[in-house]
Amino acid sequence: MAERTLTLEGLHLADPAGNPLLHGVSLQLTGGQLTALVGASGSGKSLTVRALLGLSGLTVTAGRLSVHDGDRITRPYDSLPNAAAVERSFATLRGAVLGWIPQDGRAALDPLREVGAQLTAVARRAGHDPNPGRWLERAGQRDAHRVSRLYPHELSGGMAQRVNVALALARGARFLLADEPTTGLDPTVQEAVLTTLRALVDNEGVAVLLVTHDLRLVPRLADTLLVMHAGEIVADGPAKALRDLTHPAAVALRDATARVSGGWL
Amino acid sequence: MRAVAIVLLGLVLALGLAWGARALEVITPLASASPSLDAPLGRDHLGRDVLARLVVGAWTFVTPGALACGVSLGIGVPIGAAAGWFGGLVAAGQRALTASVESVPTLGLVCLGAAIFGPSPQVLGALAGLAWAPRVAEAVRARLESLRQAELVLALEAHGVPPWRVLIHHLLWVGCRGLLLRQALTLFAAVLTLETTLSYLGDLGVAEPTPSWGNMLSFEWGIDGNPWAAAAPALTLWITCVALAWLNEPEGRRG
Repeated sequence: MAERTLTLEGLHLADPAGNPLLHGVSLQLTGGQLTALVGASGSGKSLTVRALLGLSGLTVTAGRLSVHDGDRITRPYDSLPNAAAVERSFATLRGAVLGWIPQDGRAALDPLREVGAQLTAVARRAGHDPNPGRWLERAGQRDAHRVSRLYPHELSGGMAQRVNVALALARGARFLLADEPTTGLDPTVQEAVLTTLRALVDNEGVAVLLVTHDLRLVPRLADTLLVMHAGEIVADGPAKALRDLTHPAAVALRDATARVSGGWL
Repeated sequence: MRAVAIVLLGLVLALGLAWGARALEVITPLASASPSLDAPLGRDHLGRDVLARLVVGAWTFVTPGALACGVSLGIGVPIGAAAGWFGGLVAAGQRALTASVESVPTLGLVCLGAAIFGPSPQVLGALAGLAWAPRVAEAVRARLESLRQAELVLALEAHGVPPWRVLIHHLLWVGCRGLLLRQALTLFAAVLTLETTLSYLGDLGVAEPTPSWGNMLSFEWGIDGNPWAAAAPALTLWITCVALAWLNEPEGRRG
């Protein structure tokens, strides 16, 4: 398998008033690996994901991002003072290399077009097979033919998430950035969606960044764990070593999770 | 049903072109004649064929109606799109503009325009379009805002769709075309009533001898002999307004 890595080093992000929001976030995603990014609400997880796509709408004050996909290397933050060059570089990455899986799957789809038509449009623009059923099946959706003729409001939450995964695949994304993709879904559907992501990692060598505030998902699903707190990555390590975390924020998150889930963790 | 309605409309307009001379032909001995095979709705008090005048009168809405739709969409869509896309001050400006134009009654504005520029269907259409444009802008802005609130725009950008394409194709064309069609139909009905009102009132609308449903009605009102001469334009007007309202009704989901 060709080399596939995304490396972010020391990302600093500030709001328009100049207040820093992210202080030196570094992380690495690798093909065939599922990385979990956990942290309390407001810790900067979603912002990090948007910054990886170049869609934060905020000023990047420092940082390096390099994306290796096979022979192709892109370094969008190399020309930091030149916003237009950064945007051009991100424009080549978005969709074609990086894919985004939203929190609210239905809201991310065009409400006025059938799912199949949206998939076909995306696949055709990328020069891929326009048959929507193929992408839905790869995203783990059964009964793909019927689903492709539905409108977004007719989808269940789990189906909508699979459609979003299918859209990202149809566009050609090899790195999937999933921003709390299972929030609001019932546990069975959560499991199905996450299993789909895991299968893509194992079978197709896709790299997944799974943003979640649910620590319980981590040990079983993820390979690597990153803990975020107040705009910084405060702990990282293998997902199995969850119990060894020592940073106060990580400990607080773990203990709180254990309490609400009745000591399940 | 819609296809049938459109074909019928086309036939009526084609007939209107063919009957242009017939609608103006004065046959004095036949003044206020009752319906006959020759003139199925009878003749008015100058002896003109009522059916021919009714059919030719349909043309008086075409120019002002089309002009009004063109002007209101041409002005309203860009303003609404800018307000919905940029938000903030642009949206506030658009709202203020809408509120100030909405506070002037359309009929008053059109009368004023007719007094300044002279009464003509073109002036009527352009002014009605101008008066309607803020409503179009408001509707487009509201739709864009609701579409943007969903994660759709972020998702499209994350799929690599360039921002101009998100705005033009996904938000305006796919998101607003049904709404704009509806706005255009409503405006057309409004122009129709406006034109009829002005023609009925007299000087500011379509002037005799050119037929319009409004001036037919006012010309024949209270004249004995052939009741159809006044009833036919009134009924036609009523049926047309109902039909336009019906066309405007949402019809399930359509691609």
